Amino acid sequence: MTIQSNGAPGSAALRAANKASAKGLVIKNLNKSFGKTHVVKDLNLDVRPGEFLVLLGPSGCGKTTALRMVAGLEEVQSGSITLGDRDVTTLPPKYRDVAMVFQSYALYPHKTVAENIGFPLKMQGIDIAARTQAVEDAAKQVQLDSLLARYPRQLSGGQRQRVALARAIIRRPSVFLMDEPLSNLDAQLRGFMRAELKHMQHELGVTTLYVTHDQIEAMTLAHRVAIISDGALQQLGTPKEVYNDPANLFVAGFMGSPPMNFIKGRVADNRLQGSGIDLTLSGSLEGAEVTLGFRPEDAEVVDPGLGLFDAEVYAVEMTGEQTLVTITLDDAHFVVKMPKDYEAEVNSLVGVQFASANGYLFDTNSGERLRSGAVA
Amino acid sequence: MTTEPSLSPMNRSLFARLFTPQVIGKMPPGTQFFVYTALILWSLFVLFPIYWVFITSFKEAVDVNRGPFFIPWVDFTPSLHAWRELFIIDYEDTLTAYANSIVIALFSTGLCVMIGSMAAYALARIQYKPKFGTIALFVGIMIVASVAIAKAGLDWRIAMAVAIAVFVVLARALGPKFKASLGNGDILFWMISQRILPPIVVVVPIYMMFQNVRLLDTHLALILTYSVVNLPIVVWLMYDFFVSIPKDLEESAQLDGATRFTTFWEIVLPMARPGLAATTLLVMILAWNEYLLALFISTTKAQTMPILVAAMNAGERGILWWSMSVVIVVMIIPVVAMAIVLQRFISKGVLLGAVKG
Repeated sequence: MTIQSNGAPGSAALRAANKASAKGLVIKNLNKSFGKTHVVKDLNLDVRPGEFLVLLGPSGCGKTTALRMVAGLEEVQSGSITLGDRDVTTLPPKYRDVAMVFQSYALYPHKTVAENIGFPLKMQGIDIAARTQAVEDAAKQVQLDSLLARYPRQLSGGQRQRVALARAIIRRPSVFLMDEPLSNLDAQLRGFMRAELKHMQHELGVTTLYVTHDQIEAMTLAHRVAIISDGALQQLGTPKEVYNDPANLFVAGFMGSPPMNFIKGRVADNRLQGSGIDLTLSGSLEGAEVTLGFRPEDAEVVDPGLGLFDAEVYAVEMTGEQTLVTITLDDAHFVVKMPKDYEAEVNSLVGVQFASANGYLFDTNSGERLRSGAVA
Repeated sequence: MTTEPSLSPMNRSLFARLFTPQVIGKMPPGTQFFVYTALILWSLFVLFPIYWVFITSFKEAVDVNRGPFFIPWVDFTPSLHAWRELFIIDYEDTLTAYANSIVIALFSTGLCVMIGSMAAYALARIQYKPKFGTIALFVGIMIVASVAIAKAGLDWRIAMAVAIAVFVVLARALGPKFKASLGNGDILFWMISQRILPPIVVVVPIYMMFQNVRLLDTHLALILTYSVVNLPIVVWLMYDFFVSIPKDLEESAQLDGATRFTTFWEIVLPMARPGLAATTLLVMILAWNEYLLALFISTTKAQTMPILVAAMNAGERGILWWSMSVVIVVMIIPVVAMAIVLQRFISKGVLLGAVKG
């Protein structure tokens, strides 16, 4: 085992070297049940070398279990995990060459920052001189070099987070596994650490599998996002793809803040008819139960009669950069993003307008995207 | 999904809660008064006998017999005669017993804390499933073997060897067929049930056993006995402590390349230090004060302090209260010293900074 010098952050040569040695991670037909609950269902993922892939889904969807299986902390029921050209499906964690950052940071409270960061190297039997050098380099990369003698209890949340990161970097693993590493930080620090993390991953070029339930985190960090619900992969694509071209109702509703608006209805005579709406559709969806979705930022509030449908203003919220207008139609609420100087009376009648290209149609029962029709 | 490490008071282990100090100064005045009164009364209740023993060690026979005197130089004139007798005239007996007690308490405590904490860790982290059938099989074969030894006069060595061989063969053959199994909770209860049995019940078998292996009146016999007897307490207390250590830390260590034993030694044990210190102290006191088993197993060479104390009310000179008091006073000293040393480990906040912010 040799220790490469980390060099200064941003060294182009180092970046190239790391990218050349980065390994891909292939997950095939992965399954896991706890008792009768099928937590991970036939998961297939192909993480490219050096890629930052985010597993995104609500709590309890199986994403952490999948990550723990890659780490070797959870037994694989069926399927395989391949790292580079090695099948690691049944290997114990320590032989997998993966480093994990836990949601709780999992710092060793009785060890100093330096001892925490150096622990993986100590376990590899690396002598103290090389270890000290490596610890200093890793600490420098996360700006912890002045805190090496402290104990975790003497650090702030953000600093603890950095110690956990440094402990992962120091090993130069084939894959980083991160389990909601930012969720214990306050909002301001989270935003800052997000940028740090993205920069660091770019510099190190290490393949990263990152679990989160926060769609903003997923959008901002990922090269590609894998959206998981009920243990099954819903869609895999770049943040742009999953946002602009959602495969189903779940993905459409999960990505975006505020989320996509949905109107339920039935198609008859090429018209989508639901509570309070009657829209012309193109395409052949006769008789289908359909949900129409549109994003708050794709729509605009217009004068009554000029939009696709009319509704009442329920609330107007000024957020600073924009105004969120909630409108109500037969007990259903929709949100439309308007410019910051927009003003409207509550309970007044308005129209809602959006371009036909921005309306998404879904099968109400299966949730699948219907690509054969559009709002005319 | 991701479970939050639960640190709410309800979910914390009993052990952790016991060592979370309450600040009396922050209680309402009524409660404060009540708490202080109770504490003062309790202190008197606990400390007075110690004081009495201490002054008695400086009394002459006549001061003891003339009935209770409490204030030295006023009620009676202190004298060092008992101390002189035990540490200058009869020093050999006293110091031998003292040394025996120290050696036996230290070694038995060390052994039993070491084995017990490893057992407790295993029970806290590994799921065992001992099969009901296998246990019944073992007990059944042992009963048959015992009957064969007692009734048919079979040599016990042969009987035991055969019994164990039969058990191994049958367990391997039938084992997979047994379905009903016990869990870690049952093992834990089985352990503590060893302490439910009154020691007097097992004293004679233990005596016979050590007689057979010719270890009566040796340090080893007492060290082994005390280790076994105190093992359930160590397992019970340490189990509670290990369970409260977040699993994330151990998983992280595993990913960092630590073996199971390294994880235990480098990560878990240092974090369990408060529990370890408290348990060590408790077990050491139990071994230090033990009387019944020592009475049977040791006679002269391995005699411990409690036996020495007891011997002082059985002599031809009547009950030697003053000598007894001297021995008790010197017996208290090492325990207090140990408590002071270990107390700095029994502090809160060891897990602080391990998880979350």
